[in-house]
Amino acid sequence: MEANTQIKNAKARIDHIEDVLSSVAAGDLDIRIESDIEDDLTGVEQAINLLIDDLTHELKKSLKMKAEMEEKLQKIQVQQKTILQQQEDLMELSSPVSKVWDNILILPVIGTLDSQRTQIMMENLLQKIVATGCTTAILDITGVPTVDTQVANHLLKTVTAARLLGAECIVSGISPAIAQTIVHLGINLSNILTKATLQDAMIYAMKKNDQLVGGKIKTNFFEQEENQL
Amino acid sequence: MIFNEKRIPIIKIRDYLIVSIQVDMHDRLAIQLQSQILEEIHRTGAKGVLIDISTLEMVDSFIGRVLSGMASMAAIMDAAVVIVGMQPAVAITLVELGLEMPGVDTALNMEYGMEMLEKRLNKD
Repeated sequence: MEANTQIKNAKARIDHIEDVLSSVAAGDLDIRIESDIEDDLTGVEQAINLLIDDLTHELKKSLKMKAEMEEKLQKIQVQQKTILQQQEDLMELSSPVSKVWDNILILPVIGTLDSQRTQIMMENLLQKIVATGCTTAILDITGVPTVDTQVANHLLKTVTAARLLGAECIVSGISPAIAQTIVHLGINLSNILTKATLQDAMIYAMKKNDQLVGGKIKTNFFEQEENQL
Repeated sequence: MIFNEKRIPIIKIRDYLIVSIQVDMHDRLAIQLQSQILEEIHRTGAKGVLIDISTLEMVDSFIGRVLSGMASMAAIMDAAVVIVGMQPAVAITLVELGLEMPGVDTALNMEYGMEMLEKRLNKD
């Protein structure tokens, strides 16, 4: 009889342990195994209780860490967005094409050139040529510290594309370093008109357009304005 | 075939032929235009040809080659060809394709193209 009750008791306690474990698995971490009897099973029960304690502790820690990480991630995402925005702004700012005289456009390039930037520059310049109807464009690369093969290639393409549109493109301000690189890379720039400085390029362009006669500068800008009035 | 019937008009004004391409070019049309223009140069004795491609939004390598070929063919028939009004996107495509059209004259618009031809004819 006694053995039977003991077995029954033990069964009930094991059921209790099972219940607690399933509650824990379901997420209720406050629950613990309760028992008044001390026997062989008590050790198991205590061990399980300890494990649940540890689990609770670790879980709390990882939740806290997760929250921190998420916060950091958000910060990084915001930063990334700002960086992208600024890059875009820089791209637009970095290739202004301005009309400086009748028929003459200038594209001053400052800073390091990469393929993407030269691509944007090229598109801007070609669009401006078509929009203004200017037949001379000066590409001033005084502010460019170095070029590589790709960039030199892109410059060549820009000049050729401008020629296809019907405009002449002059490259000015090639620094000694760039001249060395270009020759060492074996790039042939003989098809491109190059001038030492922006001034030389301007003088060449104005002479070509008959805007510089006997040291005097001519423009039909004022005539145009009078016509408009 | 309707396509075969379509012809691009070639207008003669004084010493020049003016061709304005206003339809999408396909290969056969390009070839047809090429021989048409050469015939017309021969028939009228024109000294210059202005080809306006300002409405062409796409030029593939074949048409690019036909255009530059036409320029050199006309040159040996003593007529200068000026390609006029190329779109920036077209220019970029041609350059990317490596078709830089050496020896072909280009101008921003008809007016500039006409001036260019006049200067050239006055020189001779």
